[in-house]
Amino acid sequence: MTDTSLDHLGPVDYLVVEFPAGASNFTGEMAAELLALVDSGTIRVIDVLILTKDEDGAVDATELADVGELGELKAIEAQLAELLAEEDVEHLAAAMEPGSTAGVLIWENLWAAPFASAARRAGGQLIANGRIPIQAIIASIEADEASATVGD
Amino acid sequence: MPLRRARVGRVGVIGAPVAKTAVVARAVTPGPSPVARTAVVAAAVTPGRPGRRRRI
Repeated sequence: MTDTSLDHLGPVDYLVVEFPAGASNFTGEMAAELLALVDSGTIRVIDVLILTKDEDGAVDATELADVGELGELKAIEAQLAELLAEEDVEHLAAAMEPGSTAGVLIWENLWAAPFASAARRAGGQLIANGRIPIQAIIASIEADEASATVGD
Repeated sequence: MPLRRARVGRVGVIGAPVAKTAVVARAVTPGPSPVARTAVVAAAVTPGRPGRRRRI
């Protein structure tokens, strides 16, 4: 990859969505929403793995291509970059409960790339980023409301 | 099923074992009133919400 293409790469994120044993209910809705994000140019899917952890803690990884009926996800599978390495599987699976299945998704935030490039061209550099949990916002609101009540 | 050969022996990109983010797990678990909580958060991050100003 050249410096130029790196400069135009959007931030890359990952998530691990765990499905406890017996709790999965796949209707195709997740796939449809993921495809909508790809089709709108919001994200580019870089890698997908399905992990299973048995009751003894042993982890098995399945490539998306090895999942039975991919349906519309076949288009995404054909574009995967296989970024994750074997050691990543162990690191990601550390968060899983025994007996669960998890989907791992790696994606590039295409929507952010032009802004990030513009910031770099302006001389800026990213020094921090992150995500605010909804629970933290709720806690902040509740604390505000509690202090307002005390002040009444 | 085995991983593809390209994944084996490479340096990973996830630097260390990942810890479970319990708060996020709770967020996606249907609770007693998830719709009400969503509305509260939506209101909190909506510009112009009365009575809530930046604190810094």
